[in-house]
Amino acid sequence: MARKMIRVLLVEDEEINRVVARAALKAAGGGDVVDEAENGEVAVQRVRDAAAPYDLVLMDKQMPVMDGHEATRRIRGMGVTTPIVAVSSDGLPADVDAFITAGADDFTSKPLSKEKLGVILAKFRLA
Amino acid sequence: MEYSNLRRQIIFMKKNLFDQGYLDEQFNQLEELQDESSPNFVEEVAALFFKDSSRLLTNIEQAIDKYPQDFYRLDSLVQQLKGSGSSIGALRMKNECSVFKANCNDRNLEGCRRSLQKMKREHATLKQKLESYFQLLRQVGPRDYAVSSRK
Repeated sequence: MARKMIRVLLVEDEEINRVVARAALKAAGGGDVVDEAENGEVAVQRVRDAAAPYDLVLMDKQMPVMDGHEATRRIRGMGVTTPIVAVSSDGLPADVDAFITAGADDFTSKPLSKEKLGVILAKFRLA
Repeated sequence: MEYSNLRRQIIFMKKNLFDQGYLDEQFNQLEELQDESSPNFVEEVAALFFKDSSRLLTNIEQAIDKYPQDFYRLDSLVQQLKGSGSSIGALRMKNECSVFKANCNDRNLEGCRRSLQKMKREHATLKQKLESYFQLLRQVGPRDYAVSSRK
């Protein structure tokens, strides 16, 4: 039986972090389709306009125009149930709580790695 | 053999970069992401980092010289630099960013200035060391780079 294609939305304003995340996703087995959004506003648009639902959203915290908390709130407000994993270099309890309150399902710290993404993909049965 | 010497030099150079605290485990993670489809991945990521970090250091320097100082903006710029440094495993840069952020939090302008000078020195040193490292790797060739990176 053919494995389902995994569609991921990577929301991150820094190019270097997008490049690393994309490579780590591919290595972890979750990089079939990876769309990118450079801020929360673009992320909300991508989710709204997507031809097929994403299987996973990786959401950075600090971004221009619209941050990750707000983007998460708006995506949940649209009734989207796609797993959203918050990604931040801080990892302070207040940050994690804010993301979970906004509607994120999980949190992981930067920098992303093959191992961290492997755990995330397995948790949401995407591996 | 010249080839064996090169490989020994690469291993030794990389060990030094770790032992002296310039790099952390994230650099190994990057090397593990390198494969035949992206044989220069680590060097490309390093180039991205140095492009980003040079721009950010310039912006930080300009922001520090402005009056009145905007510590919020300074903190935001250094946070970006810290994140970028984390992606490549630039440990000393990352640590100095944390010192800078603490100075911002304390609104300690002189502390920020000292920290910026240190960040610039660490940045220049890391750039020079990584350029030498990648130069050696290019001599060895992409296939054997994957083997060297396991050390």
